[in-house]
Amino acid sequence: MSDLDRAIAQLRACRPIPESDVRELCHKAREILIEEGNVVTVNAPVTICGDIHGQFHDLMELFRVGGDPPDTNYLFMGDFVDRGFYSLETFLLLLCLKVRYPDRMTLIRGNHESRQITTVYGFYDECYRKYGSANVWRYCCDVFDYLALGAIVLGASNTISPSAGESSIPTTPEGDEVEIEVCNAQGEVMSRFPRPTKGTNNDLQSRTNGIPPPSNTGPPGSGASGSSRGTVGNPAGAVLCVHGGLSPLIDKVDKIRLLDRKQEVPHEGAMCDLLWSDPDEIDGWGLSPRGAGFLFGADIVKVFNHRNDLSLIARAHQLVMEGFKEMFDASIVTVWSAPNYCYRCGNVAALLELSEDDSGWGVLARSNGDVNRSDGGGGGLGDSDPQPMKGPARRYRVFQAAPQDSRGMPAKKPVADYFL
Amino acid sequence: MDPTFKSPGPPAGSSSSRTTLPPLPKLEMLNPSHRFLRPAKRINEGPDVSQFLTSKAYRDIGIWILQLNHALVPRSIQKSTAAGAPTTTTSTPETKDEHKTEPSEPPKDALAAKLQSLRKKKDEQSKEEIKTFPLPKGGEAKEEEPESIQKLQRLLKKMEAIIDEAPPDPGPRRFGNVSFRTWYKILEQRADGLLREYLPGGVLRWEQEKLNKGEGEEEDGTETETEGDGDGDNKANEQKQEVVGALEELKAYFLGGFGSAQRLDYGTGHELSFIMFLGGLWKMGGFEGEENDEDGEVERRIVLGVVEPYLRVIRRLILTYTLEPAGSHGVWGLDDHSFVPYIFGSAQYTRPISSPNEPTPLEGSVPNAPKPGDITKPTAVERYRTENMYFSAIGFINDVKKGPFWEHSPILFDVSGIKDGWGKINKGMIKMFNAEVLSKFPVVQHFPFGSLFQWEQDPEAGIPAQSVHMQNQPVASAASAAVTGSVETPTERPSGTAAHWAQTRAPGVAGGDGLGTTAPWAQKPLGTGGVPGTAAPWDEAPTRAPGAGAGMAPPMTAAPWARPTGAGAGAGVGPSAANRFTPYKPSGGPGGAPNTGPPPPESFQSGTPGTASNQFAVTKAPWAK
Repeated sequence: MSDLDRAIAQLRACRPIPESDVRELCHKAREILIEEGNVVTVNAPVTICGDIHGQFHDLMELFRVGGDPPDTNYLFMGDFVDRGFYSLETFLLLLCLKVRYPDRMTLIRGNHESRQITTVYGFYDECYRKYGSANVWRYCCDVFDYLALGAIVLGASNTISPSAGESSIPTTPEGDEVEIEVCNAQGEVMSRFPRPTKGTNNDLQSRTNGIPPPSNTGPPGSGASGSSRGTVGNPAGAVLCVHGGLSPLIDKVDKIRLLDRKQEVPHEGAMCDLLWSDPDEIDGWGLSPRGAGFLFGADIVKVFNHRNDLSLIARAHQLVMEGFKEMFDASIVTVWSAPNYCYRCGNVAALLELSEDDSGWGVLARSNGDVNRSDGGGGGLGDSDPQPMKGPARRYRVFQAAPQDSRGMPAKKPVADYFL
Repeated sequence: MDPTFKSPGPPAGSSSSRTTLPPLPKLEMLNPSHRFLRPAKRINEGPDVSQFLTSKAYRDIGIWILQLNHALVPRSIQKSTAAGAPTTTTSTPETKDEHKTEPSEPPKDALAAKLQSLRKKKDEQSKEEIKTFPLPKGGEAKEEEPESIQKLQRLLKKMEAIIDEAPPDPGPRRFGNVSFRTWYKILEQRADGLLREYLPGGVLRWEQEKLNKGEGEEEDGTETETEGDGDGDNKANEQKQEVVGALEELKAYFLGGFGSAQRLDYGTGHELSFIMFLGGLWKMGGFEGEENDEDGEVERRIVLGVVEPYLRVIRRLILTYTLEPAGSHGVWGLDDHSFVPYIFGSAQYTRPISSPNEPTPLEGSVPNAPKPGDITKPTAVERYRTENMYFSAIGFINDVKKGPFWEHSPILFDVSGIKDGWGKINKGMIKMFNAEVLSKFPVVQHFPFGSLFQWEQDPEAGIPAQSVHMQNQPVASAASAAVTGSVETPTERPSGTAAHWAQTRAPGVAGGDGLGTTAPWAQKPLGTGGVPGTAAPWDEAPTRAPGAGAGMAPPMTAAPWARPTGAGAGAGVGPSAANRFTPYKPSGGPGGAPNTGPPPPESFQSGTPGTASNQFAVTKAPWAK
């Protein structure tokens, strides 16, 4: 589509594109998405985002804070649509960017990317109102069916890279390695958390309690044999990104790869769970108050991560007032990217940046004596050492709702359906 | 053209026979030998909604809402002193004809038109007095209110006071504050005593009668079968229902009106429950003067004196415990939590009627009403929110939402552009209520049925969902078929069934665009289990819920905390949940046994952030039960 850049410009101005262009765009997008696996592999650096829910102006704020695509490599974890006023503009812009920069934009499916949910929670109504027919809604839903179910991030660094404008690698005053850094929308560092040192860290110890060493290792998430620790570009362990969470039917990431995803989100089963489940402070599995998916506890996450050589699960799906929330000894994090959700929640939003490992993709990881770095293929540390993988260093950028001026006024009030 | 005085054709046309108009339908009072039943959940799956739409309960809901609505319409009272207008019957048609001629003689210029209309208005004012029904000042109980209203107001005050006993949990900032469960629990524990103390005497008489004659029966645990019409569909749904005291039956609707402690949410389904609690009181003769209530005085007191105070309590609960909107549609719903204030509020500003039996006008506004467009002006909203329920509801939205009004409330914004006055808005709100509240499985599924509001079929209901054709159809289209059977004509008397109060469903949703049959996804099976009804865009009520949903107890019939669970919002991992869990037991999943026993009881007391109870507007599966 030669007009792609024009469509992007128009959508960036929050103006919908004509129906015929939507059709063409969706067709093109499907051709690209159909080639992607259920679990897309993404290389760091990457910026991971949670729910957007049609909050277009806040998405623009997100791009301002996180950097413009394609300069920044983005991964959106679903729920682009519903509830907000601009689901259409939001989804179409993200889709345009996907088609224009397929390798710099990863979109995975949320539970709202579904025909049934969008008819209940607003996107259908929005399309009907903006186009006077349901055609555009249908085109979009057909794209939803092709969205990937998850992503695996490889090659994330376990040290914080300097922020733009910062000259030195940040360290804490004590000189410790920084594990978590929280920045505000202006890029100023609000807080830093050093990586706990070995021996003094009960959390890290507890991570491995009762968990047997991995029985198989291989490319992260693949379940294949071989030493996963030696996998190139994976010094900090892989990060699984999924909209909701885990499923009792999925014990290996490979099982996700086997699903037939090109369908409406089912009411139950693995695909449903991945998009609907929530972590909770329980043991094992529990019923979800949502009526779909499950609740899962810390034990479930830790076993799953260990079995799949993951250091972290990043997911969205639940509002968190602070924009992000790490749970279960930082084995899972919720990222939420819709500030002042529904115009009333007063929450801030966040995005998660994982920087690229210095050693780079395909290059042996540097060795500075830390455990669980890449063993360079030699299996030096191997399975005899049950130490958990050190998670990637995480930089969260927290931002607030976009200012409300300059949004203008709608030209006319369409006649509401029931009031004709 | 001033919409205020637009004269709709129908009432004028029917005005000649106005004196002989039959009274509008009202909710029937109970027969003295009435037996009360423990209300039970009947709407278990999507298709049950179409049966509900032809039930006696549905008929009664319609009658009750319209009865209350009609009472709020302003009245035009002819002044007997006015020259040449000795009786209302002769003068009113006259004024109506005057309005009618307005459009036919377009004035030469704007100034002349204005003068003319001013003169006309003055003229009219000398002949008729218009009585409107604003909210009472200060919202306080007034001395002149009847005993029953005062008692209900005190009941609401008592309930509000429970908030002080259950202060919001100061723990990590969260939505859906868990202390709401404490509030609700206290309410539940005290409900019997509160109802006994504050229900009008006329209602307690029923309870007394039960004690006198029905005690023995009840001890034997006698159960009675609900009277069925004997058709097969009905039979399948027949349940034996326990005979209980009047208060026990009423209590279900009362407690159902204050949100879900389990889900920490509140929505229009709860609102409906409270409105029908009041309807139950009416049926039991709970309000003084019901019998000879000629011009809706009793109903007006109920709405202005009880419903609005109820909404104030609800708003305080929402703010205190940050209750989620149950099943929020985000900006695409009318309002996050409420519906009836938009019906009753628009009725308050509708064109006046001059006879108690005149139907509710379908367009036009009362003179001096604010314009519908004023809802977008914060100053106007502040001015009118104390007198009008519509503006009161808008005021609450402005209190809690940040951002442009047209963006966060586009439906209300669209409605504000309506040119045909508040009567038109009122008509649309009622239609919308029928489609978006009464016809929606997620909303009405918790409504219980007993002796006051009966599940059995209304013999006079419109064509019920044709069983064969409808069974595999989206439930909403069944509803639509049922209500499109009769076309609303303005002169038609409301009959209390579906036909008169909602002749169509939302054109945007189910309009005759043929989507139902041509949609390419209509034949596509939905995932596992061959769930029918994924099809059309208006199908949000599939017939089968997933295994997980099956385990969720209806919040109105069982105390959520009665189950040995506790994590998050009702995360069931205890033994009882385990049984329900079986349909979807993970086989060979990680972590071994999925049911590892109940979590520590403090798991939601202390409140862990980032859990399901930490949610606002969390998405619920629309098929969840």
